[in-house]
Amino acid sequence: MSLIFPNWTNRLLAAAGAGALIGAGYVGTIVFAAMHPTTHHIGYQPTQPVPFSHKLHAGQLKLDCRYCHNTVDRAAHAAIPPTATCSNCHSGKNAKGVTPHVAVHSESKKLAKVRESAATGDPVEWIKVHNLPDYVYFNHSAHVNSGVSCVSCHGRVDRMEKVQQVKTLSMAFCLDCHRNPEPHLRPLDKVTELSWVPDEDPEVVGAKIREELNLHPKVNCSTCHR
Amino acid sequence: MSSKKWYRSLSELENSSEFDEFLHREFPQAAEEFPEGVSRRRWMQLMGASLTLAGAAGCYKEEKLTPLAARPVNRIPGEHQYFNTSVEVAGQPYALRATSNDGRPTKLDGNALHSSSGNGGSNSYIQGSILDLYDPDRLQSPFEKDNGESFLRSWDEVDSAMSALVKQFSADGGAGLGILSEPTTSPTVARLKAALQKKLPKLGWFEYRSTSNSNQLAGAVKAFGQPVRPLFDLTKTKIVATFDCDLLSSGLNAQHYAKTFADRRDPKGEMNRLYSVESEFTTTGTAADHHLSLASSKIGALLLDLEAAIDAGATKPADDASHAEKFFAALADDLKANAGDCVVAVGPGQPADVHAIGFRINSKLGNIGKTMTLVRGDKPVDHADSLKDFAKQAKSGELKAVVILGGNPVYGAPADIDVTSAIKKLEVSAHLTFLPNETTGKCDWMLPMSHILEGWSDTTLADGSYGIGQPLINPLFESRSAIGMLAVLAGESGDLQSLVRTTAGNVSGKLRTEAAWQKAVHNGFADGTAAAAIEPTTAAFEVDAAGDWKAPVEVSNGQIEVLFTSSSTVFDGQFANNGWLQETPHPLTKLTWGNAAVMSPATAKALELVDHQLTKVEVNGGRAVLPVYIQPGQATGTISVALGYGRTQSGIVGGDEKQGVDPVGVDVSSLRTSSSMAFATNATLSPLQSEEKLASTQDHFAIDKTGMEGIHDRIGDLIREGSLDEYNKHPDFAEHRVHHPPLESLWTEVSYEGHAWGMAIDLNKCIGCNGCVTACQSENNVPIVGKDQVQRNREMHWLRVDRYFGGDDPEQPEVFSQPVTCMQCENAPCEQVCPVAATVHSDEGLNDMVYNRCIGTRYCGNNCPYKVRRFNFLNYRKETKQDNLLQQLVLNPEVTVRSRGVMEKCTYCVQRIQNTKITAKAERRAIGDNEVVTACQEACPSDAISFGDLNNPNSDVAKAHADSRSYGMLSELNVKPRTRYLARIRNHHPWLAKADHDHGHGHSHDEELGSLESNGATVASHDSTNSQEASV
Amino acid sequence: MASVSISTDTTTVENPAQRNPLVIGTHDYKSVTDKVVAISDREVPFAWYVAFGTSVSMTGMLFALIGYLVVTGVGVWGNNSPVFWGWPIVNFVFWVGIGHAGTLISAILFLFRQDWRTSINRFAEAMTIFAVACAGIFPGVHIGRVWFVYFLAPLPVPRLEMWPNFRSPLLWDVFAVSTYATVSALFWYMGMVPDLATFRDRATTKTKQFLYGVAALGWTGSARHWHRYEKAYMLLAALATPLVLSVHTIVSFDFAVSIVPGWHTTIFPPYFVAGAVFSGFAMVITLMVPARKWFGLGDFVTERHLENICKILLATGSMVGFAYAIEFFIAWYGGNKYEGFAFINRATGPFWWAYFTMVSCNVIAPQFFWIKKVRTTPWMMFVISIFVNIGMWFERFVITVTSLSRDFLPSSWSYFTPTIIDVAMFAASFGLFFTLFLLFCRYLPIVAISEVKGVMPKPTAEATAETSA
Repeated sequence: MSLIFPNWTNRLLAAAGAGALIGAGYVGTIVFAAMHPTTHHIGYQPTQPVPFSHKLHAGQLKLDCRYCHNTVDRAAHAAIPPTATCSNCHSGKNAKGVTPHVAVHSESKKLAKVRESAATGDPVEWIKVHNLPDYVYFNHSAHVNSGVSCVSCHGRVDRMEKVQQVKTLSMAFCLDCHRNPEPHLRPLDKVTELSWVPDEDPEVVGAKIREELNLHPKVNCSTCHR
Repeated sequence: MSSKKWYRSLSELENSSEFDEFLHREFPQAAEEFPEGVSRRRWMQLMGASLTLAGAAGCYKEEKLTPLAARPVNRIPGEHQYFNTSVEVAGQPYALRATSNDGRPTKLDGNALHSSSGNGGSNSYIQGSILDLYDPDRLQSPFEKDNGESFLRSWDEVDSAMSALVKQFSADGGAGLGILSEPTTSPTVARLKAALQKKLPKLGWFEYRSTSNSNQLAGAVKAFGQPVRPLFDLTKTKIVATFDCDLLSSGLNAQHYAKTFADRRDPKGEMNRLYSVESEFTTTGTAADHHLSLASSKIGALLLDLEAAIDAGATKPADDASHAEKFFAALADDLKANAGDCVVAVGPGQPADVHAIGFRINSKLGNIGKTMTLVRGDKPVDHADSLKDFAKQAKSGELKAVVILGGNPVYGAPADIDVTSAIKKLEVSAHLTFLPNETTGKCDWMLPMSHILEGWSDTTLADGSYGIGQPLINPLFESRSAIGMLAVLAGESGDLQSLVRTTAGNVSGKLRTEAAWQKAVHNGFADGTAAAAIEPTTAAFEVDAAGDWKAPVEVSNGQIEVLFTSSSTVFDGQFANNGWLQETPHPLTKLTWGNAAVMSPATAKALELVDHQLTKVEVNGGRAVLPVYIQPGQATGTISVALGYGRTQSGIVGGDEKQGVDPVGVDVSSLRTSSSMAFATNATLSPLQSEEKLASTQDHFAIDKTGMEGIHDRIGDLIREGSLDEYNKHPDFAEHRVHHPPLESLWTEVSYEGHAWGMAIDLNKCIGCNGCVTACQSENNVPIVGKDQVQRNREMHWLRVDRYFGGDDPEQPEVFSQPVTCMQCENAPCEQVCPVAATVHSDEGLNDMVYNRCIGTRYCGNNCPYKVRRFNFLNYRKETKQDNLLQQLVLNPEVTVRSRGVMEKCTYCVQRIQNTKITAKAERRAIGDNEVVTACQEACPSDAISFGDLNNPNSDVAKAHADSRSYGMLSELNVKPRTRYLARIRNHHPWLAKADHDHGHGHSHDEELGSLESNGATVASHDSTNSQEASV
Repeated sequence: MASVSISTDTTTVENPAQRNPLVIGTHDYKSVTDKVVAISDREVPFAWYVAFGTSVSMTGMLFALIGYLVVTGVGVWGNNSPVFWGWPIVNFVFWVGIGHAGTLISAILFLFRQDWRTSINRFAEAMTIFAVACAGIFPGVHIGRVWFVYFLAPLPVPRLEMWPNFRSPLLWDVFAVSTYATVSALFWYMGMVPDLATFRDRATTKTKQFLYGVAALGWTGSARHWHRYEKAYMLLAALATPLVLSVHTIVSFDFAVSIVPGWHTTIFPPYFVAGAVFSGFAMVITLMVPARKWFGLGDFVTERHLENICKILLATGSMVGFAYAIEFFIAWYGGNKYEGFAFINRATGPFWWAYFTMVSCNVIAPQFFWIKKVRTTPWMMFVISIFVNIGMWFERFVITVTSLSRDFLPSSWSYFTPTIIDVAMFAASFGLFFTLFLLFCRYLPIVAISEVKGVMPKPTAEATAETSA
C-alpha cells in the first residue's frame, strides 16, 4: 500500500472525519434555522409611522379592541381604524383655531401625522405586522364569533408598547387549534378581554362553549385555501 | 412592485429611466403621445390617478396598511358591496348589479330586481365589460393634434375650445357644426340633444352604429303606421317561432326571454315548442325543438307562404317530403292551432318588409295584446343613411366641424361611405372615445370618455322603464361621459348627477322627491315608469318578398350569400381589446381570437374549400381574405362572417399598428355597403393555396373517420335527450341510457353528514349562451392565454360549453350543447394519483384544489375523465401582458391568483360557499335552502344551473338530482359526479317526430328497455342509481 | 478431433460432444489482463476525442435546455390538454427500459449460473447506470414547479401531519427508480473492485495509481478478500433480482392504475418488463458490436455471446408482440366502449403511423433472428437492434400520447405536436449517455477481467506444449 499511498494520505482519514463533522454541523444549522422562531417572523416588530401604544390604550386605558378594530366581528379583516377614529380624541385645531372635540395631546408632535391625515384625507400608512401568505384566507369574524380570543394569535397586545408578532401563525399553528379547539375557547363576552383566564380547567370551559356554540372547526384544505 | 415604492417615489422617479419604462409598459399609448410642451411634473399630476391605483395592487413582505382617513358609511373594508346600476353595454340597455371591493368594482351581473335580466342573468358582454374599466390602453387625458404631433391639453382648455366652436357656429344657427353620436336610449342625451338643437336649429345630428334595430321600427311603421316595438310574454306562449332572430341570447330583453322561455321547458308542466329558421346557427337555434337552415334572403318568402298557409290551413306532408316542407307544414299547423298562444319573432337583420309581414302574421293570429305587447319606439333612423349624409355634407363643405361621441365610424362604416376623407375635409373634428381607435387617429381632438361605471347616466330599459346609472368609482383618468360632453356644448351647467336628475324629474314627477330618487338609484331604475302597451290598427300594405324558398339550393359561385353578424364576443369591435371576450369561444364554432368564413359542408364541397384554408370573398366590389370554417347547419349557399375583427388601432390585445401588434381576425367592412348592412348576395369565393390556423377550443383539428365514428357512438351517452313522448313513456329513460355492471369502489365509501354540495344543470333550459363561461373567468381570476396557446389546446376556462352535432343531414343538423365543469367526483380519479396530495376531498364533498401545494405533475389532468383541469403551462399573465398594475385591479381578492406550473380547476366557487357559511354562523342561523350561488349560476339567464346542499331536501339542487331526468355523465366509471345533468327533452310536432331517431343515439329507447329487462341489467343499473342517490 | 478444431473458429455450433469455450484464441490469464488494460492504457485514438467532444457539447445543450425550461415553464414543450404528459415521460420510460439489461445480466444470469454473462456484464451494467441517469432527468424536470420537488419527500414537520399521497403510483415510482439506481450502481462498483486493483497495480502514473488505489479500496486479492467478495456479490445479486422486475412493473403502474382508456389494463406490468428487457438487450447489441470491433474484444465477446443476446431479443420481442395482440383482444372482449375505441384509434386514428412503426420495429424486425445467419452476423444484428430501439421509443409514445389525445369526452380531444425543445432534449439525453459511456470505456475495465479468467479453459497440456515448442 505504502507504494501507492504516500504517508500524507494518512491525514486524509482525519480530513474525512472533519468533513463528516462539518456535514453534521451543516444539517444541524439547517434544522435549527428552519425551527428558529424568526423564520416564522416571531418577534417581527416594525416601527410604525405613528408611535401608537397598545399598552397605553388597550392596557391602561382599557379601550376595547373593537373600539378601533370595529369590523373584527363582522368581517374577514379586523380593519385598521380610519384616521377619523383617532381624531375622536386626538383632533387638532380646526380652521378657526378651536379644537371641536375633547382633544387629547392635540399639539403632540407624535400625532402630527394623524392630524395631517385628518386634514388632507390621505391615509396614515401603517405597517402590517401579522402578514399571512396571499393564498391563505383567514376570517376574523369566524373566529371571534366562535369564542376564540384575540390573544390566541396576537398575544398580550395590551402589554405591547410596540406591537410584535408572538405566534408562528404557521399552518401547524392553525391546525393545532382546528383539531383541538377547546383550550382556546372562551365566552363571547371575554373574547377581547386579553387578560381573562378561566377559573376552571380551560378544556372543560372550552368543551362547554363548543357545545353551546355548536362549533365544528374544519381541517379541509378549502377551509383556508381557495 | 411594492406599493410603498409607487406611493413614495413619484418625485424620485420623475426623471428616472425606470419611470420611462413604466410609462411604456403600463400606458404605452399615453407615453407615446408624451407631449413636448408639458413639464414632466405636470405630466406626473396627470398620471397620478393611475399611479396611486398601481399602488393598491402591490404586495411584498413589508406591506402597507392604508386605511381611509374617514370610512364611508356602510363600508366594511374587504367586504363586497353591491350597487344596482342601469347602463348601456354593447348598444343595449341593461339593468345591472355591480360588485365592489373597497371601492373597486370587480364584477357585473344582471339586476334581479328588473325583469329584463330574467332573474339576474347576464351575458358575456356584461361580464366582460368590467375588464375594460382597467384597460391600460385607455385614452387617459385630452390631446390636441397639430400637424401630426399631439399635445396634452387640460379639460379647461378643451372646454373653452369647444364653447368657442359652438359660439363660432351659433351665428348661423349652428349650420356647419355636427354631432356624430352612437344611437343611445339615454333620456338625458335626448334632452341635451333637444336643448342643443333648440339653441342651434341648423345643427347637424347624425347617428351610426354598424348594427342597428331600425329595420324593425321601419317595419312597424309599415304595418301599423307608427313606430312600435314588440315585447313578448313567453310565459303565455306555447309556440315560439323565430326567423333569423337570436331571441334568447342577443338583442333587447334577451335575458328576460331566455328566462321566461326556460320556465316553460319543464316536461312535467306544459312545454312550449320552439321553431327557428335562420341562416346562421344561433344559440336560439340550438335550443329549438325544430330548426330549419335557410338563407336570410329567403326568409321573407317563407313568411309570405306561411301567412298564406295559416289562412288556408296546413295539411300533413308526405313522409318522403323534404325536411323544409315538413318543417313548414308543422309550423303553419302549430301557429294556426295555437293562435293567440304563439309569437313570430323576426330578427333585426331582416328588411323592414319582412318585419311588416311578421307583425301582420302576429296580429292575424291575435297574438298582439296576448303573447306580445307593442310599446312606442323611437322614430326609425337608418343609420347607414345618417352616416352617408354626414359624409356627403362633410365633403360638400356644408359641414365644417364635428364632435363624435363614442363609436368608431371610420372602422365600422360600410365600404361605400368614406368617413376618413370626410373627417379629413373638416376644419375641426373631435372624438370622445373610451379607447383610442381608428377614428380617433383621424381627429384633431382626442378626448377620453368615461367608463359606464365612472359616472352618472341613464337609459331606457327594455320594458321602457327609466334606468339610472350610478358611478361605482371616480373616473380613473381625466375622462368625460357623452352626457358631460353634450352638457358643455349645450351650455348646461351642473354636474352629471344634477343633469340626470333633471331628466329623471321630467320622466316622472315622482322622482323629484329625494325619497323616490334614492329608491330609484338603489334599485337602478324607477318603478312604474314602464312603457304603456298600445294596440295600433294594422294598415294594409304591399311587400315584395315573394319567391321560391323551398327549391333545393344549387351552390354556385357568384350566387353565394354573405351574412354579416356582430361578433358574439367583441360585438362591433368595441371589445377588440378585451382579452376575456376575445378568448370566449363562439357558442357554435367555438372559435376564439378571430373570425372566419363560416359555411356548411355542402357549400365548402361545392366551392372546393377545406377547413382553415384561406379564401378570397368578393361581393359588392369589395374583397376580403378569410380562413374557412366548416360548420354543419350554416344555410347551404351562404357564408357568415363576424364583424368587429381586424382592428388596427385597438390596443395591445386587439391589435395596434403603432405597437406592432397584429390585428385579431379580419376586417370585413369592405364587403358591406349601406344597402346590404345585414347580408349581401351574389358573392364569389375563390380558394387560395395558403391556410391560416384558426384558434378553436373544440375539434382543435379536423376529426378523421375513426374519430367521427367514436363521437357518434358516444354522444348519446354523454348528452342524453329524448322526445316528449319518450319521456312520458319512460320518465327515467336518461338513467337507463347506459348499462353497466354494479359499481363497487376500491376505497371505503364516505358518507357525507354535514353539507354535501352539488350542482345540477338542466340541458333542457341551457341555451349555450356562454354567459357562465365569462362569469367564471371574472369570478375566479381565470387568466387568458392568447391565440397561439389556444391553438395549442391550453385554454384555461374552468367552465366550458361542449357542443356536438347530430342527425343524418349535416346541412340540417341537430345541435347538442352541454356546460362542463369540475364534477367534484366523490371518487375523484384526480385525487388518487396526485403524489403530493394537492387535490383532496373535503368532508363536504368538494374536490379541493390546493394551489400552494401543487407541484404540477399534471397526473390529475391525465386522469380526469372530464378534462376540466387546467394547467398553467406558462406565466400567462405575463405572456398576455395582463400583469400590469392597472389590469390587476380587476382581480377578485377572494380567489388566489395561480402561478406558473400549477394545476387549477373549478371548485364550485368555494370562496362563496365559505363566506356564506361564515356569515350564517356569525348570525347563528342555518344556511338558506338556495343561499349559496355560484358565479355561473348567477350569470345564467335561463336558470339552467342549480346549486346547493344535497343533504337539504328543500334545496333546488336536491330536487333536481331527484328528478327522473337526472343522470351523471360517465357515472358508469363510478366516479360519482356531484354535478348531474337533467336530460334534454325535445317537444316535437308529430309530423316531425321522425327526427327523434336520427340524433346520434345508439339505438332507440324501446329496444333498450327490452334488452334491459331481458338481460337483467336493469337490476344492475338500478343498483347504481340507488347507490348514487344514497350517497348524495 | 474435428470438434475441437471447429470450436476454435466458431463458437456457435451446438455440439453436445463439447461445450463451446467462452474465450477463444490462445489466451492465458496474463494476455487477458493485457488486452483489457491495454484499452485504457494505450494512446487515445483521435476518434475518441471527436466522439467525446460531440457528446459533451450535447450534454451541455441538455443542461442549457433544462435551464430554459425551468425559467420559462413546461409550456416550452408540446404538452397540452389533454396530452398532459408528452415526450418527457416517453423519454423517461424509454431510458428506464434500457436500464434493465444490465442488472438482469449481472443478477439473474449470475444466479442462474449463466457463465457466458461474464464478458458482457460489466459493459451492460455500465449501460444500465448511465441509462437510469438519463431517465432520472426527465421526471425530475417534468413537473411544473421544480423548486418544490421536495414535497414528494415524506418530510416530518412537527404537528403538521402533511404527507405525500402514498396512493399515487408516481410516488411509488420515485422510490422504485431511486432504489434501483442505487443498487445497480453498488453492484457495478462492487464487481469492479478486483479489476480496479489490477488497474492500480499496472498504473503508469502516480495519479492514476493513487486514484485507482482509492477506488480499489485496498484490494489485495487475498483469499479472505475473494471469499468476502464472492459472498457480497451473491447477496447483491439476490437483492437486485427482484428490482429488475419491480422497477418497470411500478413504472407501468403510472399508467395501469389510472383510468385513461388504453392505460387502464392489467397486462401492463409483465408487458412492460418484457419490453424493458427487450430494449435493454437491443441497446447492449447496439453498443457491444462496435465496441467489440474497436477494442478487439472478439476473443472474449464471442459470436456465441452475441447469438445468445439475439435469442433473448427474439424471445422478448415475441412476448411484446403477444402483448400487443392481447391488448386488442381484451379491448374487444371487455366490451368497454371507450377501451375499444382507444385501441381502434391507435391503429387507425391520427397516430396510426406511430403504431405501425412500433409494430414493425418491435414485432417484425426481431423475427429475423430465427435465421442463424442473422443471429451470428454482427452488422445484421446491429441494424435490427437499432430498429428495436426506435420501436421501443415509439411503443411508449403510442401508449402515452395516443391514449391521452383521445379519452372520454370528444370535446377535449386534440392532436399532439412536439416542439423543437422536445426533440432537442431527447437528442441531448443521448449526449449525456454517451459522455458517460465514453469516459467508462476510457478509464474503467470494460470487461470483468477477473470473472472472465474464471470461465477460461484451464491451461491444458497441449497448450503448454505448443507454447514451449
